Amino acid sequence: MTVVASCVGVLLLFAWFTPSKALYFHIGETEKKCFIEEIPDETMVIGKYRTQLWDKQTGSFLPATPGLGMHVEIKDPDTKVILSRQYGSDGRFTFTSHTPGEHQICLHSNSTKMALFAGGKLRVHLDIQVGEHTNNYPEIAAKDKLTELQLRVRQLLDQVEQIQKEQNYQRYREERFRMTSESTNQRVLWWSIAQTVILIITAIWQMRHLKSFFEAKKLV
Amino acid sequence: MWPTVVFSLFVQWSVGAGAFTQSLDSDFTFALPAGRKECFYQTMEKDASLEIEYQVLDGAGLDVDFYLYSPSGHVLFSDFRKSDGVHTAETEAGDYMFCFDNSFSTLSEKVIFFELILDNMGEGEDSEDWKEYMQGADMLDLKLEDIMDSINGVKARLGKSLQIQTVLRAFEARDRNLQESNYERVNVWSCTNMVVMVLVSCIQVYLLRSLFDDKRKTRT
Repeated sequence: MTVVASCVGVLLLFAWFTPSKALYFHIGETEKKCFIEEIPDETMVIGKYRTQLWDKQTGSFLPATPGLGMHVEIKDPDTKVILSRQYGSDGRFTFTSHTPGEHQICLHSNSTKMALFAGGKLRVHLDIQVGEHTNNYPEIAAKDKLTELQLRVRQLLDQVEQIQKEQNYQRYREERFRMTSESTNQRVLWWSIAQTVILIITAIWQMRHLKSFFEAKKLV
Repeated sequence: MWPTVVFSLFVQWSVGAGAFTQSLDSDFTFALPAGRKECFYQTMEKDASLEIEYQVLDGAGLDVDFYLYSPSGHVLFSDFRKSDGVHTAETEAGDYMFCFDNSFSTLSEKVIFFELILDNMGEGEDSEDWKEYMQGADMLDLKLEDIMDSINGVKARLGKSLQIQTVLRAFEARDRNLQESNYERVNVWSCTNMVVMVLVSCIQVYLLRSLFDDKRKTRT
């Protein structure tokens, strides 16, 4: 009985794993699709994707294609590459951010034979989970031996922590925004004053120079 | 023995069914090059609801065209050159396509943020079902149900907070991008202005002098 229950549980766990109702889009052969994720620091991001190839014979998308891989490249806010790896036709990539800011997740297909087989159409299902959503609660329950109530409260605590992290990051961004605004205002003021001063000096110089020039030419 | 078995079945089922794991709401930020159209697809069930909210975060003019197509190919919503928008649709079964069109722009790349909120998708199983598995309704069980209800309520509200945070973050990102482009513009045009002023005054003086020099020469 318990064996059956465990089997059912495990099967249901796998149902959670695949992005069955996720967003999908079409990608061309050498096309690179990039997504931007703005995240605070020390945040984990898990991306799951599933690819399907167009089959001309059946006129539909085949479920899985061996040999067709996707290359995933992730850049941090300083445009430094933090992950650059090849995955299979169904893949899962993870990274943790160490600096807050805009991270860029780029995907492109590594296959050159796609145009030959599929008429160049590849369907990619993508799901990106950030922060608290990445926690694997069944695993946490098993590791810490929590009852369900404890697990639910733990999940709420994780959610609140995520919100708090986002708020701190928001504060940091607003400060940066305020600094840029103030710097712009200051620059507008100083440039205007400088331009007026230069204009006046140029005018005085012109007048004096021309006056002395005309006097020298005995016209005045 | 039976209560233990039933309870373990319940735990396995609720934990494995993703009762508090993967959410069906997703948000993405991507860059749309000038003159391009990008489309995304979402599989929906009958009698579910799809809400899509998008914002243009960066790019001159901060506007984009938006189209939402039903599975049969009809245009459900279309926006022309809007900077942000929200649309809700009651769905039938099939793949809904939504597209962002930047064809009207020849030079500027737009950064677009969009968020999909799905309701009634039927994948989050009703937590009422677990009552069938529990046997015996004594006081402890009823108290547990109350606690579970309030935990679910808190979880839903925290989820909404996180969603609102995401939207606010998008607004802030847009303002920040606008401000940084203002800053660049002020710098570039102030420098240009000064250089042009000094150049023009020198040319004026030179031209004036050259007029008189020639006259002098022709007189003698």
